[in-house]
Amino acid sequence: MTRFVYLSPEWTEEGRRRVEAKLTPETLHHVTSSMTNLYRNCPDGKDRYFHVAFEDGKLVGFETGEGEGPKAEFRIIADYSTFAQITRGELGAVKALTSRKLTLRGNMAKALRLAPLVDKLNKVLATIPTEF
Amino acid sequence: MPEIPKVDPNDPYSVDIEKRLQDIQAGMHQRDLDLYLASRIRTMSFVLDAFVPWRTFMVIPAEGLPTVFTFVIDSARLLSETWLDEDHVRGYFGASGADQIEVIQYFIQDELGLDKGRIGYETGMSTYTAEGWMTHYEYQRFRDALPDFEFINAHDIVDRASIIKDEGTINRFREAGRIVDAGHKAAREAIENGGWKGMTETELAGIAALAMRREGSVSEWNFAGLNEISSGWRTGLGACTPPTTKEFAAGEALMFDLHAMFKLALGDHSHNYLIAPASKRQRWHADNFVACVQFVIDSYKAGATPGDLITECGRFAEERGCSDFILPGVEHGIGLFGDEWRVGASMDVPIPYWTDPDHVYQENEMVILAMQYAAPEDGVGFRYENPIVIKKDGCELTSKFPLAIEEIE
Repeated sequence: MTRFVYLSPEWTEEGRRRVEAKLTPETLHHVTSSMTNLYRNCPDGKDRYFHVAFEDGKLVGFETGEGEGPKAEFRIIADYSTFAQITRGELGAVKALTSRKLTLRGNMAKALRLAPLVDKLNKVLATIPTEF
Repeated sequence: MPEIPKVDPNDPYSVDIEKRLQDIQAGMHQRDLDLYLASRIRTMSFVLDAFVPWRTFMVIPAEGLPTVFTFVIDSARLLSETWLDEDHVRGYFGASGADQIEVIQYFIQDELGLDKGRIGYETGMSTYTAEGWMTHYEYQRFRDALPDFEFINAHDIVDRASIIKDEGTINRFREAGRIVDAGHKAAREAIENGGWKGMTETELAGIAALAMRREGSVSEWNFAGLNEISSGWRTGLGACTPPTTKEFAAGEALMFDLHAMFKLALGDHSHNYLIAPASKRQRWHADNFVACVQFVIDSYKAGATPGDLITECGRFAEERGCSDFILPGVEHGIGLFGDEWRVGASMDVPIPYWTDPDHVYQENEMVILAMQYAAPEDGVGFRYENPIVIKKDGCELTSKFPLAIEEIE
């Protein structure tokens, strides 16, 4: 089985393909929102981002890269290792937030309301055979 | 962007939110403030026109709409009741980047794009525990989080903007007064014809509360035991009487201080009785009390001052020989939920954060006409409270329950 390096261009392309296939506008309740995850201290010492955006439930942005990434409604900031733990199911997102391992910026009330949709997104991304 | 609600001429309870915001922002402009960081309940009530019970902050920019940050468990409910939209009603919770300090820090830095400037905030002191002043800890955290901002105590901007009530607000108080009167009617019916026998203060408080709820009250908002009920020797204790399980008894005084809330306007009326047989001494005290209250009612008008009123009331009581029993003060401030203490808005007063004795009452200002009469050595006391609207040549009582101290059989 092909394994994709986390946040690599190949992983990004596979992620986009799977999200478009699995998450319909109806599944996402026609949400319009965007999120940029900032990965501090990646294995090569750099900072990276993962950006995703939906308009009326349709995927309109899905990219990774070096640096801070595009502006988004929500920004989630954590060490690469924390994101990797969450993606592997070793650490809950809420526990990461409440233990200050992960920082969320944006409208918190809206973030909580959208949390189930983010869960759906993460579940799809978790199906990608990934090499961390 | 949400539209600021316009005054609806067909809605007697419609209030002028746009003017309120304009007045606050004009005050900010005069002080050269970039932001106003509100924390008091009264400020939330005034701007959001919604019930805000949890610790909440509101960021008002020099121009544009405010954004409110409340405990996240209540943010959806608040959103459903205020005029602001989802982008301007936000939550905080105990998570990194999401607590009540960081969420506001990031909002100011990331979304308003401000790294420095002048922030007005609300600090001071009060007799009212739930006033909502910024705590020392919160202040230190905000200072650390926003190091290039200057913090200026500016609560008087809101105090001045809220002192004169618009017609919709006064109508809300009138309705709250009507509701409180329904509570008093139910209380009166409950105790008459021997109904008082075996009844406790707490039971009477509940009977009145039910009657007021049936009429549309959403809260017995008072912090001192909701409806304050006292009987017998407890009526002579002073001006705070949360109800107890004490039973009413023959030959005692009763004091019913009922509270209702209608669209954030606070109904607050105290009425008193004597359970037969009343002694001559009790009747003398009761007649003194009624006369003193009536004197104060007749004295309120635009142009009067709290200092003058208390002096004149003291003189009147002296003439009747009852001045030893009148607790100092004939009023306390009142406004929308969270606003119930000092009179006036000035920060430059003889005793800071207490009523300004030289405050000149203006038309459409409201206060609670309040008098406490206490004769503990005779085991008797009475209280009067009634939200009043100051008029050019007098005042309007919002509660219409007749002033009297009846003897109940």
